[in-house]
Amino acid sequence: MKAKILASLKRLSIEEYMIYVKSYKSTQMFFVKKSLDCKRAENTQIYNVNVFRSFEKDGKKMKGNSSVFVYDGMTDEEIDATLSRAYLAASFVCNPTYEAMECTENKFLTMESDLFDYTLEKCCEKISQALFAEDNREDAFINSAEVFAYEVGVEIISSTGIDSGYIKRTVSGEFVAQCKEPQDVETYKDFRYNNLDCESLKSKVRKTLEYTLERAKATEAPKAGKYRVIISDSYVGNVFSYYSERAQAGYIYAGYSTFEVGQNVQALDAEGKVAGIKGDKISMTLVPTEPLSGEGIWQRDLELLDNGVLKTYYGGLRFSRYLGIEPTGFFGCVNVAPGTMSVEDMKKEPYLWVVNFSDFQMDDFTGHFGGEIRLAFLYDGEEVRPVTGGSINGSIIDSQTTMHFSKEIQRSADFVGPYAMCFEDVPVAGA
Amino acid sequence: MKVKESEYLKLKKPILEKLLEKLLVSYEYASILANDSKSTNYRVSKTGTSISEDGTLSERGFCVKVYDNGKAAEYSFSAIEEDTVDAVFDEITKRLDTLGKTLPDGVTAFRFDGVEDEKLYINESTEYEVDPEEKGDNNIIDLLTRISEKGRAYDEKIIDCNVAFSYQKYSKMFLSKNKDLTQNVMWSCGHIVAMAKDGEEVQNSYKPVSMLGGIEVLDTLESKLEEACKTAIELLSAQPMIPGEYDCICEPDVTGMIVHEAFGHGVEMDMFVKDRAQAKDFIGKQVASELITMHDGATVIPQVATYFFDDEGVVAHNTTIIEKGILKTGICDAQSAMHLGVAGTGNGRRQDTTRKAYTRMTNTIFEAGTSKVEDMIASVKYGFLLCQASSGMEDPKNWGIQLMVDIAREIKDGKLTGKIFSPIVLTGYVPDLLKSISMISDRIEAGGTGFCCKGDKEAVKVSDGGPYIKAKIRLG
Repeated sequence: MKAKILASLKRLSIEEYMIYVKSYKSTQMFFVKKSLDCKRAENTQIYNVNVFRSFEKDGKKMKGNSSVFVYDGMTDEEIDATLSRAYLAASFVCNPTYEAMECTENKFLTMESDLFDYTLEKCCEKISQALFAEDNREDAFINSAEVFAYEVGVEIISSTGIDSGYIKRTVSGEFVAQCKEPQDVETYKDFRYNNLDCESLKSKVRKTLEYTLERAKATEAPKAGKYRVIISDSYVGNVFSYYSERAQAGYIYAGYSTFEVGQNVQALDAEGKVAGIKGDKISMTLVPTEPLSGEGIWQRDLELLDNGVLKTYYGGLRFSRYLGIEPTGFFGCVNVAPGTMSVEDMKKEPYLWVVNFSDFQMDDFTGHFGGEIRLAFLYDGEEVRPVTGGSINGSIIDSQTTMHFSKEIQRSADFVGPYAMCFEDVPVAGA
Repeated sequence: MKVKESEYLKLKKPILEKLLEKLLVSYEYASILANDSKSTNYRVSKTGTSISEDGTLSERGFCVKVYDNGKAAEYSFSAIEEDTVDAVFDEITKRLDTLGKTLPDGVTAFRFDGVEDEKLYINESTEYEVDPEEKGDNNIIDLLTRISEKGRAYDEKIIDCNVAFSYQKYSKMFLSKNKDLTQNVMWSCGHIVAMAKDGEEVQNSYKPVSMLGGIEVLDTLESKLEEACKTAIELLSAQPMIPGEYDCICEPDVTGMIVHEAFGHGVEMDMFVKDRAQAKDFIGKQVASELITMHDGATVIPQVATYFFDDEGVVAHNTTIIEKGILKTGICDAQSAMHLGVAGTGNGRRQDTTRKAYTRMTNTIFEAGTSKVEDMIASVKYGFLLCQASSGMEDPKNWGIQLMVDIAREIKDGKLTGKIFSPIVLTGYVPDLLKSISMISDRIEAGGTGFCCKGDKEAVKVSDGGPYIKAKIRLG
């Protein structure tokens, strides 16, 4: 199919293009209680072709592009018709011109992983066994689960000479823990690993079963008011997206973000004025989860923030070219340095520690964060009790100079950083 | 005009029938779902213009489902030719046979009894006025550009105006021993997102349009531009909500989010199979005010989730879920129906042919009532008009509410004061909210520009809506 696409591009005299080929092999298992409800296997391939067209409009140089899918089994005539439609469409896309992505180095990588030591079927079975290994309690159990083992192959071919790719394997899935007494409650968790990380999954299941038990004991919502709020686990990573999103070339070019390189962006107040940081300062590195971006950029780690100071912008090809910076691609993982307080230190003063939200939201535009509380621990200075219900409604812009991060760290496929963080005076809608 | 049948699927049909014939020799049940779908997104904003086919909605693919001694299994693939039928068959049997040989301790494979496969023939198409492909990419981009530029010129605080149009045209074919089904569907959507900025704060206002049909959906988009820009600027001076329980009037999109997120997910009967939904124990009981009647189904209204049969070959329904406050039934995919011993309701949907079918909502609405919107607002001593639903999350097990809206407009002594609060989190217990509904407007509105997920994945197109409702809601 690649040869057919290249021949069609040549026939149509399309000079600038990028072909993105992605193949998926997967095995999938779906469990309800202690039953395998359904199993699935997959072998599919997609071909996405992005065609570019340079032209002039009102005396200005423009470059348009349009992307389409080409499918196995298409005839030469069908491919020609699809690509020529895309090429025509590109002439209506009036974006200021920019340089194409040059070829730096061509190679094909197999991402290191012990998942390649087994068949996909075995990977799926082994991770399923790890998932159910901790499901041996009387008081809480796994209600249902889905387990996936994927092998994804990516290949990029461009008119500028890029001909590179990689193969990677992952295991991922989700599970629901349930506890029926003293009240019937559940907790949803998902997981994703680049290796056969059975011990991490077992630990996650064990902790989730324990939290679900606590939630079953929680009946009251916290009273409405302002609290010292601690959040932990994956929600911490979500908060830092405020900084990584606002440093994107696309946000800067559009004026959505006023972050400036060299500026202490953590010290900005709502009016954009600089204030002092009394809490922990953020040092953040962006880490790629794929070696090659969808635009053919070989990716590497990128230091974004050093003690709250923005080191660089980053992003895809077009906006990076407009800003005159090196295109870096986008990053699937954020690495944040730990803070100065231990979790135990955070818990010395009264707190509301939310360990499970129904859906935590971080709005990168407004800076608001929050969500409904599924399970939290409330310490009023005398006792700790589990609470459920109500919601937190905070603002990172109001909190960023006083927030603290834990010394303890957490690791997942998309975040490595403090296990917990603490905010002062966060509004809580409660009972 | 009727949406045309896919020439690609017509060509593949005899090949797929050959594969089906072979599968039926090896398995007691086999079916094949084939999809030929094209979806294109058009976007114009200050940052540029784009035309691209949608990676989630565009595909040519196939999904085989078999029951092997009662055990359910599926195989997804993207290519088959006359001379590769045997190879595809061999790959299916080999991979499905290998998987699940070793199960975790204490886990067994569930065996289903007797899969129903009633004789059925369907070949239907939805209608449209103007095909986006015939309208031409240049005309679509010209229209979006005009609206975007007008929005950006509205006020100096407006930093961008993102205007978009998308459509999906798909043909699906479902083949089994007794079923030969084909459907051809097209829906279209558009939206305006006006963005306003003051200091570090950026606010936006979102105005959508959607319909079952073609580019004619854009006829009404421009009329929403001024309101989008005005609201985005208003939001820059919004105050934080003082937490508490208030009398609220919900605009139809907020009603739709309550219908869909707060209640709809809880009556998806695959959740009944897993004992994950409280609704299972409330069938025949009062869960809402007597004013409430709720429907879900691909035939309820002509919208983005309208179709003739679902992804498991079950005919589309109009299911009455709540009738005058009483919970009558849930909605169901075919395999969950087999678990529960009930009939499927045509709600088995896949994101695409590489994904499993789950029970999914389609077009979900509350019926209209008799009140006038102005009388509803006049009836509130102190409360809020809730507008612009932004996100929500289901909690079928505990019926907890988590919904977010962008705007609460203050109402004092029956009148809007002009003061607005944002952002707003709605919390509480679903039946408490639904039972507190005391007034319902005499007209409904529904829309479907977004997607619905199961957990954090499996995006499918849905619509929701209803009338304005008056209810007591805890806001934060």
